[in-house]
Amino acid sequence: MKEKIAVLMGGRSLEREVSLVSGERVCDALTERGYKVLPLDVTPELVATLRAERPDAVYIALHGKHGEDGTVQELLEFLGIPYTGPGVAASALAWNKAVSKRLFVREGVGTPAWVTFTADAFKQAGAATALDLVPDAVGGLPVVVKPAEQGSALGLTKVSDADALPEALLGALSYGDAAIVERWIDGTELAVSVLDGPDGPRVLPPVEMVPKSGLFDFNAMYTPGETDYYVPARLEADKEAEVVALAARVHELLGCRHVSRVDMVVGEGGVPYVLEVNTSPGMTETSLLPMAAAAVGIDFQELVEHLVRSALDGNT
Amino acid sequence: MGTARVVFDKWSGRYAARMADVRSSAVRDLFAAATRPDMISFSGGMPEVSRVPLDDVVGAATAAIRESGAEALQYGSSEGRVGVRRIVTELMAEVGVRLKPDDVVVTAGAQQALDLLAKIFIDPGDTIICEGPTYLGALQAFSAYQPNVVCVPMDEQGMRTDLLAETLERLGPRGAKFIYTIPTFQNPGGVTLSPARRRELLDLARTYDIPVIEDDPYGRLRFEGGHCLPLRALDDEVIYVGTFSKIFAPGLRLGWVTAPHPILAKFVLAKQAADLCGSAYAQTAAERYFTGTRWRRTLQVLTRTYAERRDAMLRALDEHFPAEARWTAPEGGFFVWVEMPSFLDLKSILAEAVENGVTYVPGDAFFPDGRGRNCMRLAFCFAEPDAITEGVRRLAEVLEDRLELYRAFAAAGVLGTPDGAGERG
Repeated sequence: MKEKIAVLMGGRSLEREVSLVSGERVCDALTERGYKVLPLDVTPELVATLRAERPDAVYIALHGKHGEDGTVQELLEFLGIPYTGPGVAASALAWNKAVSKRLFVREGVGTPAWVTFTADAFKQAGAATALDLVPDAVGGLPVVVKPAEQGSALGLTKVSDADALPEALLGALSYGDAAIVERWIDGTELAVSVLDGPDGPRVLPPVEMVPKSGLFDFNAMYTPGETDYYVPARLEADKEAEVVALAARVHELLGCRHVSRVDMVVGEGGVPYVLEVNTSPGMTETSLLPMAAAAVGIDFQELVEHLVRSALDGNT
Repeated sequence: MGTARVVFDKWSGRYAARMADVRSSAVRDLFAAATRPDMISFSGGMPEVSRVPLDDVVGAATAAIRESGAEALQYGSSEGRVGVRRIVTELMAEVGVRLKPDDVVVTAGAQQALDLLAKIFIDPGDTIICEGPTYLGALQAFSAYQPNVVCVPMDEQGMRTDLLAETLERLGPRGAKFIYTIPTFQNPGGVTLSPARRRELLDLARTYDIPVIEDDPYGRLRFEGGHCLPLRALDDEVIYVGTFSKIFAPGLRLGWVTAPHPILAKFVLAKQAADLCGSAYAQTAAERYFTGTRWRRTLQVLTRTYAERRDAMLRALDEHFPAEARWTAPEGGFFVWVEMPSFLDLKSILAEAVENGVTYVPGDAFFPDGRGRNCMRLAFCFAEPDAITEGVRRLAEVLEDRLELYRAFAAAGVLGTPDGAGERG
């Protein structure tokens, strides 16, 4: 029997159900590979269970708040248990799109123009009276309105008419304390996964998403048949090389380890824009990371074991 | 000691496809588990059975065994005992429906009737029509048969028959397998279909040749307002589903269905496959309970109890709820339906409400397609008036917090319409 691995899933995030699906698949894969597997939910008994069971490592299959924002990572550092995926700082940085986009701009990484609003800016400073300035500030309509801190594209709206902006902001702010309004870039939507290996980051083939509704939101992400995928993406060789290099750069820029998924869009004239970085990519049947891995002959079990070995063997 | 360990369903992947649509919401289950001792629940539509005198039930149950023990403990007919079907005919005569015992089949609660009706009418992909929102348990029962559910919106007068007409025109004659409606004190809407619209609904159903299923669990729990005849009193072809759960007790699991005889014949075949026959013991006890007049007094007490609770809830809503909220004022039944501005997600707010010691059912549970997230159903049937007042106050606190943001937008004049600001009732 190999090491004992606790797989952390569920939690109270809005992505609980997705996480439970990811978690179960990860458990199956680890069991097949001969590990002793301990599936765990985030409940008030979690810490006591971890202390009693003393797993050799934790696989984080949580998505959304607490699982991806550094909360659980911080807790596991404190308990001294190695875990999969990026550390506390990288998780927190990637989780907050308003902050990571600032970093991209500073480092010369292309990202669509945007403005950020906190709920308090509206409640206490009357920011709603300046919404008429938003379209010009980001270079015109349409725009995408989304929570600054949320995975799985919940609370995401594409706005083509300025009158619809306030409602879209209220919608996004029902998922968190801050929302961003980002210029809509028409182009090829890509998810580029990065895996750390012994020789440094290895970028997997970009996956191209073509949602039937035109918007890659929660529904398009998790309903089979709602999105067409192309692996590798339908890009010219030099463009593919460019986005691959960009993903590796962003992965390192945020200080990610083990794994990350960089979501981007290649706009008019072939300019790539980074939208966000996902530090706990989905592991469901329709998820993008397993899809990209499969394209280079890494099957699901191998992918999961690779991540677990990274945590166990102290690959940072 | 508790553990955080997750137990998987090792049989997943082997269930029938129809079960994919009938799973419960993981988020809702999670919140359901998070209870505190002083939790005030507006979630469940549970009758206040403590008002049913237990001595009366003991008398009925004892008599059932003493006088007809052999029958009560034996298999019975699939249609149900003649005695209890006769009681159904008497109850129905009081609301203007003349029946013979042969016209009635007794079921295990109205819920079984809904399941079996769905079973005999719905093939996968068939269209059915219901109110939007509608009874959660009906959606659950129907969804196992994989229909395409079309919802017709309601207003204070019940189902919008003008919109039903549009829907039917689009679907054409026999374009739906049935129209399912709860015309009186609707669950969850709390509204009642007006007499004029009852006629219109039946005319439309006749014109387009589509059967109507009338679900009437609350009809006898009227607090005020004029008498309203069930659809079945206006049209012999209406399939009517009734229940003893609200006029006696749900623990007996007794309901009934009446329908044109060919439909009833198919229904009995389905019933035989489901459970051979209902509980002869429960039916015998019900026969005894409904003999004499004591049950009428109990029903009056129950109705008065619910009326007091409805009053308490409407008063508390008036006093504590934000101006942006709208709600229905039911003349009977168990439920008030609350609608908030469209951006407010009452599903995500439920977590905070639970922490604040009050629960409700978010509106999307009552739609087949995820609509209704800005709505909620408040059941006033099972909490004492004081608890209702306190529960509404706790809920209002949670809502106020979320509305602060909305008001900042409204104050800046950037929202198209004030969305119900200042409107009441």
